[in-house]
Amino acid sequence: MLYEQELKTFVEGTTNFFEVAAQQPASIGSPYLMEGAPAVHEYTGVIKISGKREGVVYFTAPKAMLTVLLMKMQENDFSHETMRDLVGEVANTISGNARRDFGRDFVISVPSVLSGEKPEIPQRPGQRSFIIPINWRSHSAKLVVSLT
Amino acid sequence: MSLAGTERRRQLFTASIGTALMLVMGLALIWGFRLATHMRANIIALQTASTLQTYPEEISHQLNALRDRLEVRAYSGQALADLQATVKRFDQELRVLSGSVDADSPQLGHALLLWHQYAPVLEPVVSFGGQPYVDSDNAGSSLSREGREHYAEVKRAQLFASENARPLQTQLANLATSLERTSSAGATRLRSLLMGGVFAALVLAVVAAYFQLSRARHERAAREAQEQTRDILKTVREGFFLLDAHYRIGSVWSEALTRMFGRNDFAGLTFEELLEDLVPQSTLATAMKYIKLLWGDRAHENLMKSINPLGQLEITTDNGHGGKETRYLQFDFHRVMGPEGIKHVLCSVGDITSSVLLARELHDSQENANAQLDMMVGLMHVDPLQLVSFLDTAETGLKLVNTILKEPARTDAEFRKKLAGLFREMHTIKGEASALNLKSVAMRVHTLEDMVGDCKKKPELSGNDFLPMVLKLDELLAHLRNVREMAARVTALKDTSAGSAATAAADFAASAHAPLAPAPITAMAPAPAAPAAPPAPAAALTAPAAAAPPARSANQERPARRVEELSPALQSMAERLAQDHAKRFRLTLNGLAEVPAPYTATIKDCLIQMLRNAAVHGIEPPEVRRAQAKKDTGNVQVDFRRTAEGYELLFEDDGAGIAPEALKAAAVRRQLITEEDAELMDTRAAMALIFRPGFSTQEDITMDAGRGVGMDVVARSVYALGGKIGVSTHPGKFTRFKIVLPATDSLSTAVA
Amino acid sequence: MSNGRMNGNGKRSFKLMIVDDSNLMRRRIERSQQFEELQLVGTAADGVEALELFRRTDPDVVTMDITMPHMDGIECIARLVAMKPAIRILVVSALADKATAVEAMERGANGFLNKPFTDRQLNEAIAELMR
Repeated sequence: MLYEQELKTFVEGTTNFFEVAAQQPASIGSPYLMEGAPAVHEYTGVIKISGKREGVVYFTAPKAMLTVLLMKMQENDFSHETMRDLVGEVANTISGNARRDFGRDFVISVPSVLSGEKPEIPQRPGQRSFIIPINWRSHSAKLVVSLT
Repeated sequence: MSLAGTERRRQLFTASIGTALMLVMGLALIWGFRLATHMRANIIALQTASTLQTYPEEISHQLNALRDRLEVRAYSGQALADLQATVKRFDQELRVLSGSVDADSPQLGHALLLWHQYAPVLEPVVSFGGQPYVDSDNAGSSLSREGREHYAEVKRAQLFASENARPLQTQLANLATSLERTSSAGATRLRSLLMGGVFAALVLAVVAAYFQLSRARHERAAREAQEQTRDILKTVREGFFLLDAHYRIGSVWSEALTRMFGRNDFAGLTFEELLEDLVPQSTLATAMKYIKLLWGDRAHENLMKSINPLGQLEITTDNGHGGKETRYLQFDFHRVMGPEGIKHVLCSVGDITSSVLLARELHDSQENANAQLDMMVGLMHVDPLQLVSFLDTAETGLKLVNTILKEPARTDAEFRKKLAGLFREMHTIKGEASALNLKSVAMRVHTLEDMVGDCKKKPELSGNDFLPMVLKLDELLAHLRNVREMAARVTALKDTSAGSAATAAADFAASAHAPLAPAPITAMAPAPAAPAAPPAPAAALTAPAAAAPPARSANQERPARRVEELSPALQSMAERLAQDHAKRFRLTLNGLAEVPAPYTATIKDCLIQMLRNAAVHGIEPPEVRRAQAKKDTGNVQVDFRRTAEGYELLFEDDGAGIAPEALKAAAVRRQLITEEDAELMDTRAAMALIFRPGFSTQEDITMDAGRGVGMDVVARSVYALGGKIGVSTHPGKFTRFKIVLPATDSLSTAVA
Repeated sequence: MSNGRMNGNGKRSFKLMIVDDSNLMRRRIERSQQFEELQLVGTAADGVEALELFRRTDPDVVTMDITMPHMDGIECIARLVAMKPAIRILVVSALADKATAVEAMERGANGFLNKPFTDRQLNEAIAELMR
């Protein structure tokens, strides 16, 4: 059973990125559960976790949101590579936060970045995931926590 | 640092005072000795001078005597001898005196001058050695030639004496006076010297004494300071010690360390030795690297603080009883700067075990709740089919909850809108769980309900407030799955022991393998006040309406059985309610076997809610009933029957009935209506209040009622089936609910 | 700093190298740092590239990511410090655990900045680094 603190750590890692990098805080939407195939947008940063918990945590965002985020960061390169870098950095931050808080119990992988409509996110069949919408400006991304 | 300097200065001062004292005494002694010697010489000289002043007169007398003798031709030998002796003595003593008295003494000078004139005059007299007389018989004795010369010499000397003896004597007397004055001055000087010496010694002694006193005071202050430091180190709850450049612990450390580390030999211990048996090797390595960095000057204090790896250090120590004990320590490091850079590192250690354990305990209690197996016992007594039916309904309900959650929300209003719907779903599930006496489920739903309740009170809602809910929801789903698995085991156990109920087991297995199959609750979707959003795009956890038909047909395969099976559950719920609320009543159930499959779930829900209402609000406590001339034991009667139009359910209790005024008052209190509204309401409208969402007349919240959800759920589900619900009451006599449902063949149109 | 060079205006100038596997981050650091005296001599995407760049450009100030392919930041720091003890290295990493920070500092880093960072945080960290 996931602890609230664990979920909060991942959520804070994500919202913190927006607050710090774009100087504009993100809020979280109404969280819910989901079973089965992962829900993803165009760009997804994934960290794998093993140890006390097993599974994946990923941040997936639509291109439009990333574009605005990059603009807010005064970036003017909106290439595919930059988008990948950006979700990679968000995942990096989530991973860093998790290491700080649960480094003792978790083994946390280096983030990997996936893009496209149907990325291969390793997930156990029947695994229930927490979906936490990350709302920023008018856009919405998702933080998916899929751990056992 | 200044302490050592003060001590050195003090020693120096003491030494110089001692030296000064010795010097003063020595000087006084030497000077005094010289003065005394000088005085002694003066006194001797004074005596001599006093003696000498008589000599000139003596010499004069003796000269006279000698002349007299010579004139009368008497024997002059004796007189001459006397004179010779006197002159010789005078000459000698004057010589001695002139050697001892300062040559520049004017009186002595004059005396010597006079004597130098006098002595040659006397010389011929005293050196006379001849025969003064010539003996002749005729003339008797007469002066010889020598005698005559001698006589003349004597007379000359006498003459000189008569002129000079007195001055000489005066000079000598003056000399004596002068010498006396000198010695009395010397005596005065000596006295002053002695007094001065004594005084100086006294002054020094006073200074020394004062100094000693102040030193004692300082020492006392220092000792007190030391004692205070010791007291602080003894009583302070944090561990304190200093590390030197070799990472060794200094000699001063606080007692708290003993408790924390279970040892007391800290002085001289290296930091590595302190930790090596307590923490894993990797932690120790990081810690030592950090300590090393502290001694470098590359990183400033804030940076060092931010990377402190020993902020929460888990250590394992012996607990003193042969066992191991885990403690959590918080280390803080501060550089202590000296003139040449970092002098020490001050390390403070706090024991944060209790706070860490407290946080852990919270987790553990959650885990314990998960592992609660009381349901095991409960499950043994629940009919497997009923249980499966409940689990299906509950899961469907929770999926509906999830669908409500899934509806995107950003604003407080959007979040708040979800609460009512969530509440209703929870309440229904809780009601059923209570009916089946599944406490572990009911408790969890209750917690979730509490969370929703807490959210209602918050002034501003955000997604963060929903995080605990979704966690709890996940936990609840997991728990339901556990219940299902456990129920399967229980069933298997029953099967093997009884060898019967094979069909039930098969049924159960079928359901167990389709945990997500939507239960009839989906039929609620088209209800007028449906809280859920329009059907979301197919996602695994939503309750898709499309999936409903197969489930319904599954239900139809077992017509009515489920409600029939509900009877014992309702009876046991009634018993429990009676017991919990100190009521006494009999539940009579008629015609439940007639309930068609599409209505089973709704009828079940309705019966549970109404039974709860009757037990909590309707039936009076026995003593009240007795006072109203009613039987102690109340009656709750349920009748289900087929009618020409469809079906009819009557639910009646012979309890307190419902007072319209009480309903109005409660509705006003809950701000469902205003007082003006209440004034204008007729009895009929007032009675309808009990079907309003959020209405309840019970003040305290229990597992059974008082949530303000109950009859509105019933009403909603009845409407959802195209039915009607009505209530009639007579205060003090009865309350009767009548539910009318259409014939089942018309249901398909209602749903579509 | 010991080995700054004089530039045309008589001000000291330092050569800056940015090491980060994310192109975005490299540009971010380059754009956000506000020190006139810092002159970017190159950016590298991993430790191996960083060492190569170091040999060619001899930078004075380095920002260093930790998690990178081929050679990670920790290893790279040690090598850079071995070649040029006076070099100043600011670790810029999302790894928020203390052990990583201590390890980096121990290998010779001079500062530590957690990702994500604001412009202000970056500039303060660099200012602290060059003090």
